[in-house]
Amino acid sequence: MSDRLSRRGFLKAAVLAPLLPAFLAACRRADNAKVVNFFNWSNYIGKDTLADFKKKTGVEVRYDLFADEEEMFAKIRAGARGYDLIVVGDYLIPRFQSLNLIDPVPSGALKNMGNLYARYRRPSYDPAETTVPYLWGTTGIAYNKKKLKSPPTSWWDLWDPKYKDRVSMLDNVRDCISVAMQLLKIPQTTRDPQDFQKIRELLVKQKPLVKQYSSSSYLNSLVAGEIDLAMTWSGDLFQAARDNPDLDYVLPKEGTYMWVDCLAMLRGSRHREDTLRLIDFLLEPEVGASIANFVRYPSPNEKAYPLVDASLRKDPRVYPTPAVLKTLSLHHTLDSEQSELWNQTWADVKVA
Amino acid sequence: MTKALSWLLAGRREAATHLLLAPAALWLLFMLVIPALGMVALSFATNGPYGVIQWTFTLENYQRAFHPKYLPVLLRTLGFAGSATAICLLLGYPLAYYLSFRAGKWRNALLVGLMIPFWSSCLVAFYSWMIVLGKEGMLNNVLIHFGFLSQPIGFLYSPFAILLGLVYFYLPFTVLPLYASLEKVPRSYIEAAYDLGASRWTAFFKVTLPLSMPGVIAGCLLTFIPCLGDFLTAEILGGPRYYLLGNLISNQFLMAQDWPFGAALTSLLLVGLVAGLWTYQRWEESL
Repeated sequence: MSDRLSRRGFLKAAVLAPLLPAFLAACRRADNAKVVNFFNWSNYIGKDTLADFKKKTGVEVRYDLFADEEEMFAKIRAGARGYDLIVVGDYLIPRFQSLNLIDPVPSGALKNMGNLYARYRRPSYDPAETTVPYLWGTTGIAYNKKKLKSPPTSWWDLWDPKYKDRVSMLDNVRDCISVAMQLLKIPQTTRDPQDFQKIRELLVKQKPLVKQYSSSSYLNSLVAGEIDLAMTWSGDLFQAARDNPDLDYVLPKEGTYMWVDCLAMLRGSRHREDTLRLIDFLLEPEVGASIANFVRYPSPNEKAYPLVDASLRKDPRVYPTPAVLKTLSLHHTLDSEQSELWNQTWADVKVA
Repeated sequence: MTKALSWLLAGRREAATHLLLAPAALWLLFMLVIPALGMVALSFATNGPYGVIQWTFTLENYQRAFHPKYLPVLLRTLGFAGSATAICLLLGYPLAYYLSFRAGKWRNALLVGLMIPFWSSCLVAFYSWMIVLGKEGMLNNVLIHFGFLSQPIGFLYSPFAILLGLVYFYLPFTVLPLYASLEKVPRSYIEAAYDLGASRWTAFFKVTLPLSMPGVIAGCLLTFIPCLGDFLTAEILGGPRYYLLGNLISNQFLMAQDWPFGAALTSLLLVGLVAGLWTYQRWEESL
């Protein structure tokens, strides 16, 4: 008797196993729960933001993190369609749009859209306003005040041999190539292979000094004294400075870039209504301010600004003065050909 | 269940064999063979704008893969994988020998201990190593405290850190086949050697070691091959100057948005490995 039963069990398992995909598909269809799947940078939201949203609306946010936006793009492009909402950098938006991956935010759907500063409305990278600005920031130099005799002033300091093995660079094609272009006075619109050859040489020349290319773990290295000088995104450094007050931030004298990270709804989202509610929630002045206070990036939200901690508001490193703000440029929006040149150059730097 | 299986085996031996092999065979087919074939197909595709794959046949990806700029990466990878395997063997053989001949009642406990690192993700293990190896980490603090060092050394992001990570993670892959083959060495052969006047060392080199060679080779292959493709270790513990084949491949997929080229590199690695193993097998048979 027991033989027969176990044999049946065995056969049942053998028969059921191929049905597993169908079962999973059925689960997907049954996924009508009130959730929003949110794919964001690590350390890029307020401490209680998502819990507050759930308290207010009953909608649960499933939160997933990335540490590199190219990697995020690769995932989404490869068909990771489970996400409803992503945070995407300004320069990536046209790329997402050209592959038809973004579901435009319908105009008038968000009652809090007017809270944004006018200069972040209908921006050059997204004139049709298919996405919503979330936070912005600058790319600059982080350094350890105790370990450096004089503060860095220029991007060239990251090329100074006396800092050998104490430097880290962002593991990010956009920022590294942009800085090299700035130093070589090459415009971002270039398609000249010779320009890219020069850029490659400049970055390869720096390589022996670089301890790590990293977009997140270098912050631990800075705090722990493993490195003393780093190319960084503003708010990330101010977060790290909470753990090590010797860390400071400068905008290089050559000037630098600012960028705007935006909230974008992905095409094929099955939780459209709730995603829009979440975006609207993030635009509320109190919510925007609490996020800005926690992540220490400037907020594009005008109504949130007065609610941001005065220590951050009055810090020109966080909110650059109007004079500095005028000198900051956005990254040029690349077409596919340029994008490939940039990526190839960066890949070659890594290999060299 | 056992009775059911023996009933199946007794009645319809051939059918039963097929049935028993089916799950593993299907698994391999769907999880290994088909994806690998897909990878080979992808390596002949064209990379379109923004990394969109276009199914137009091209050999360009292979032409690019043979560019001399990738040669140092290959040699560096072979160097790291080879050294890690050698260190694993040097550390692993005495360990396996001890487990098999000397451990006695502790054997099972020690075997479990050997497997414990696998209970956590290697990511966690590597981050723990970062804490140990950092400039203000435990290792530096201890060395400075006892006066071996006056200034902290940057252990992290060095070839040392990569080798440490590789050896730490892959050592059990070397030890387990070694242990299995040492277990199979008939103890009576060794005693016979002693009876015939062999010293401990002679007995070891003439009897135990040759009889455990299958384990040595299996252990080395099981360590060397995954080390060739490893990218996490170099990514987390290695610096920018120690860029390995695994990093090159993973970057094509995640960063450079060039999947066909990444697929070509992967296919070449696969072909190289299969060719290497095949040559080795032919050589072994010819002995």
